[in-house]
Amino acid sequence: MSGPKQVSGPGQGSGPDRVMVVHCPEVCAAAPDDRHAAHAFERVVAAVTDLCPLVEVTAPGICAFAARGPSRYFGGETIVARKIVTAARDIGVACRVGVAEGLRAAQIAAMSAGQDPEITVVPAGGTREFLAGLDVSVLDGADLAQLLRRLGVRTLGDLAALPATDVASRFGAIGEAAHRLACGADDRPLAASPPAEDLSVAAEFDPPQTLAEPLVFAGKALAEELFQALNRKGLTCARVMVQARWADGKESSRLWRHDGLLTSVQLADRVRWQLDGWQAGTSGAAGTAGAADDEYGGGVTLLRLAPDQVVRAGGLQLALWGEAVITDRVARAAMRLQAMLGHEAVLRPLPSGGRNADEQVTQTPLWDKEESRFPVGQPWPGRIPGPAPAVVYQGRPRAATVTGGDGRIVTVSGRCAVSAPPVTLTVDGEPPRAITGWTGPWPLTERWWDDEASSRRARFQLVTDDGRAWLASVRDGNWQIEAGYW
Amino acid sequence: MPVGQHRSSGSAALAAADGGSGALPVLPALRELMPRGGLGRGSVVSVPESGLLPFAVLAGASADGAWCGIAGMPEAGLAAAAGLGLDMARTLLVPDPGVNWPPVVSSLIDGCELVLVRPPARAAAQARQRLEAALRRARGVLVVAGDWPGAQVRLRVVAQGWTGLGDGYGRLRSCCAEVVADGRGELAAGRTRWLWLPAEDGAVTVADPADIPASLPGESAGAGGPALRAVSG
Repeated sequence: MSGPKQVSGPGQGSGPDRVMVVHCPEVCAAAPDDRHAAHAFERVVAAVTDLCPLVEVTAPGICAFAARGPSRYFGGETIVARKIVTAARDIGVACRVGVAEGLRAAQIAAMSAGQDPEITVVPAGGTREFLAGLDVSVLDGADLAQLLRRLGVRTLGDLAALPATDVASRFGAIGEAAHRLACGADDRPLAASPPAEDLSVAAEFDPPQTLAEPLVFAGKALAEELFQALNRKGLTCARVMVQARWADGKESSRLWRHDGLLTSVQLADRVRWQLDGWQAGTSGAAGTAGAADDEYGGGVTLLRLAPDQVVRAGGLQLALWGEAVITDRVARAAMRLQAMLGHEAVLRPLPSGGRNADEQVTQTPLWDKEESRFPVGQPWPGRIPGPAPAVVYQGRPRAATVTGGDGRIVTVSGRCAVSAPPVTLTVDGEPPRAITGWTGPWPLTERWWDDEASSRRARFQLVTDDGRAWLASVRDGNWQIEAGYW
Repeated sequence: MPVGQHRSSGSAALAAADGGSGALPVLPALRELMPRGGLGRGSVVSVPESGLLPFAVLAGASADGAWCGIAGMPEAGLAAAAGLGLDMARTLLVPDPGVNWPPVVSSLIDGCELVLVRPPARAAAQARQRLEAALRRARGVLVVAGDWPGAQVRLRVVAQGWTGLGDGYGRLRSCCAEVVADGRGELAAGRTRWLWLPAEDGAVTVADPADIPASLPGESAGAGGPALRAVSG
């Protein structure tokens, strides 16, 4: 598969090749399941493909191609850009076109308002100059821009003026990429080389799959598998080709790009976009009358993902893509479960930090990026010591009352004094239990800086006469059971 | 529903290990309670509806590399389960399998060698038989938190007591539990063992008779007398 980089020639100097980017703001802003937007964008891409066969879909609403070939053929970059804007307008989509050296710079050109409302052509060799005047906020990553601004680096020109090694040592790979961009070099070296072996993964469907959900789940699993295979070899890819073969033999393939940071869920979203768009495109009119919302007429027989422009991984990807290997057998069963119950119904646990019993484990939907809600390995003062409870009322503590010998509800004063020793525990809906041992109160004030999330509680461990133990807490005289030990 | 054949040309598919042996391992402390010292493949084990014992049954095989599915237990204390040896990286959770849960559990059985389920509703005899057939086909083990007519093994906690708490001081340290196993075949007579469930380090160990508190709440020998005031640690 040849990409924009391969079309390089000697004429343009040593910098990156001229890239043309088409940006449709309305499509970018649309929800991932907006079929109308997907359909419209699919038609824009088709129109661009008429001018240049090698079009890369960078993100929903953005596509790019090497400017050199078509501009030579049609007699100039501006002429090509004008053709695209006109074609898109005929389809009913507003778009902006930018041309510059390197993909990222061209993207910035397409998104920035120039003299022409629709086209920004940065003169050949003028990319660095064009970028120099821009605010650092155009860089990826809000944190980086904020940090740079705090250091007095306000424009990309300021950034370019700094020594590359200083930026790299202070900000790591992200800073290095930003510096390269500011200098007019591509933000990412695409040392593209065809993979030595076929790393593509595929799923076949027999009979053809007509439902959207199983296809999207299959896409997720394939993406996971592809990324793991690349990961094992220390590689990552700049683009992924998603290829779908329909029951009638037609094929749709698209190159999707996410600058090496594609997650399996994001890729699965793109699979859906592509299938939705293709379906809408082939059935003629927008919106197929009669067909159910999530059905693809004819069905899909093959779904294939192939990595394109494989490069050596920078180290960032490992953490993003996770390391746990899900076996084929488990993946297939989990996909079926998600098809039955929905994506959010199948979860994977992950050890977590935090002070409360229900914070010790974070549960994330399978295939999503896994991240502990509370960092592990930090001290969490106020964490309950001793064995962990076997029953944790996950975010839904049970109402209860704890009374003293006089039958009155036990309260805790501001100075942490207990009004009476607890004698009876009544958990909502269950008969009262006699308390045979107790300890507390353990005061806990969390997030005192945040009025809404702030909570002032006192916690107790209680043992009852049936041999069970409870983690109870009281807040403003209201008792609840957070967890149980038995 | 047609299910796509999943074929990969890129990565070597890691087939689920199935050595063909008759049983999945259990924690050493539970060995004497189980027939032939393990979880027989294709069998159903009935455990209490909640608490640590269900996880203790899973922990040995999970630590040994088996995938575990846990269905219908939104309040599962997974940190405690991990303390027993359950490997979270090989655990799938389906907190709410819905009223029509048997097909969900059947799918889980296809993926995971060990499945723990607390049925959200009673299953008809026919649905149970279909599940048992799926279980034998997949050579897995179904651990049911609740009753299951015909379960090969039934584990119960008949008495338990926590140590470490006094009147307003201390903290929970460990729990001594009397566990009874009964069921079919060699378990017909029933077996009783005293366990620390959990011990102070969160693991499960066999309790030394000398350490067992004199009387524990429950239906066992000490049940008639006054309830034990927890032993202070």
